[in-house]
Amino acid sequence: MKIVVAYKWAANPQDAEVRPDGSVGWGRAKSAVSEYDPVAFEVARRLAEATGGEVIGLSVGAAAIDTPLARKAALSRGLDRLVLVADDALADVDGTRIAAALAAAVTTIGDVDLVLAGDSSVDVAEGQVAMTLAGQLGWLGLAGVSSVESDGGVLRVERDLPAGISTLSVEGPVVLALTSDAVVVRVPGMKDILGAAKKPTQVLALSALDVAAPVVELTTLSATPPATGDRKGVMFDGSDPAAAAIQLVDALRLARAL
Amino acid sequence: MDFGLTDEQQLLLESMDELLERECPESYIADLDLNHQPPTSFRKALNEAGFGSLGFPEEFGGTPCDAVTLVLLAERVCRQGLNNGFGLELLQAMDILEFGSDAQKEEILGLLAAGDVPFALGFTEPGAGSDNSAMAATAVHHDGMVTFNGTKTLITNALQSKYLLLMAKNPEVEDPRKAISMYLVPMDAPGVSTNQLEKILWHISDSCEIFLDDVTLPESCLVGVKGNGFKQLMRNFEFERLVIAATCLGLAQCAFDDAASYAAQRVQFGKPIGSFQLIQLKLTDMAIKLENIRNFVYKTAWMLDNDIPLKSQGALCKRYSAMAAFEVADEAMQIFGGVGVTVGTRVSRLWLDLRGHRFGGGTDEIMVHIAGRQIVKDHS
Repeated sequence: MKIVVAYKWAANPQDAEVRPDGSVGWGRAKSAVSEYDPVAFEVARRLAEATGGEVIGLSVGAAAIDTPLARKAALSRGLDRLVLVADDALADVDGTRIAAALAAAVTTIGDVDLVLAGDSSVDVAEGQVAMTLAGQLGWLGLAGVSSVESDGGVLRVERDLPAGISTLSVEGPVVLALTSDAVVVRVPGMKDILGAAKKPTQVLALSALDVAAPVVELTTLSATPPATGDRKGVMFDGSDPAAAAIQLVDALRLARAL
Repeated sequence: MDFGLTDEQQLLLESMDELLERECPESYIADLDLNHQPPTSFRKALNEAGFGSLGFPEEFGGTPCDAVTLVLLAERVCRQGLNNGFGLELLQAMDILEFGSDAQKEEILGLLAAGDVPFALGFTEPGAGSDNSAMAATAVHHDGMVTFNGTKTLITNALQSKYLLLMAKNPEVEDPRKAISMYLVPMDAPGVSTNQLEKILWHISDSCEIFLDDVTLPESCLVGVKGNGFKQLMRNFEFERLVIAATCLGLAQCAFDDAASYAAQRVQFGKPIGSFQLIQLKLTDMAIKLENIRNFVYKTAWMLDNDIPLKSQGALCKRYSAMAAFEVADEAMQIFGGVGVTVGTRVSRLWLDLRGHRFGGGTDEIMVHIAGRQIVKDHS
């Protein structure tokens, strides 16, 4: 089984600065593998170990996604090899364009059975790239995937959706977007990190890829930070902890936070 | 001079951060401290992620690692607020890997991999600590067996350890440096008994008196060469001092971060107390001390990595780091005021744990003894 893990090299929100007006400053944020993607690396590695397959990392974006640190960060997470499309023409482009570049790269890699991704990126969090990629490839796409197992070349997929958990059998090429809690991710150890530099990386030129041209031009007219909401300042009497906990849960449910 | 991290160090620290966030949150550490329990599950997680065997030779399943990287990791774990969180296991392993028999190596590495503390170091006695020549515990070899008698005290982690790495002397040899040998003694051997010492700090590590009353074992419990015990023990002391200094650095940084955040939030006279110059003076001097400790620790590690003889450097580094780190924690306590001494605040735990490092692994004063002699010798 040839598995591609599509991931984003994204600014780490832990380093972001939230300004008093609610806007976010990314200037000092260091980049890392997007926080929701390691789950895709882990599931891919487990599937490859179970089936004897190959795991290929794939990322597309601005030229800055191709640094020695960025390569090692991805390769230390259980990949066999890495494919990058690093071109400043892909800086800050919309999710559809990113998905088109990913689709072209997947086609170039060839004979891919499965593409795994996180359910969204940690910085933009649109959550649309994986399913748009499936559309670009003409493949089946499933989001909200909480479990994937291989049974003789057939994938057994569990989806955790608001209507409940459904179990599916999938045969053929498919793009799966995994929930962030699908598996507990192993952290890369020293051997993984030292071994990363020895694994192969292939850089594909954007100009050499058959990327579908955007049909519709997208223009951002304005961007405002999300409303933080007014603090309600509700106090619960904590003298009876159990009763206070019930009150808190009720209030959170009422506010649709739970 | 390059103060930057290598890609590998940066990625390793990010991995450690992930592990700490998942396996060693403050609630976990506070619970261990409250209940006087060791961090066994975190140690196990460290081993599963491959951190536990960092620095071990490859033939024992380890990954060779430079001292700078090891102190970076020790600092990071302790910055989480966990005392003695990383690096001391490596010291334990090295004692056995360098001098132990194959059976001893297999046993100790197996315990380390399971997250257990394989042995406590049985060195200090009621009448002997820094003055090792006054050691009174005896080891008498006879008929392929060896019999131990004596008392050890202030032995860290004795209750959670399966073995005691016992230092005992042959009463027939006068020169104390040639009389002492190293032995691996099961804590459940007949004749071994313990008495736990209640203490006010280092709650995740127990401390005990250990009584050896005609404990008789096969001579195969000898570690290394008979009569070379003291030399064997000294071999890893330089690295131990460095790990302790890195531990102090991490704990002090944790106290500093807590105090600085508190100063930015605590409002008095209508302003955060951090806006007052007397608090800023404290924070500034604390930051200077942290920078000094960090430079001292990293440079000492760099010297080890480059095979530069440490001479007095290890003792100087340990003395300065333990003292300055405690001063940082003490000022952090002052910034917290009364809140700092209430049970459950992290800063009080850090203050107490750092106090212990001013004598654990060698007192401030014995570091003067070690470094001072060397300094005079270098200038003679």
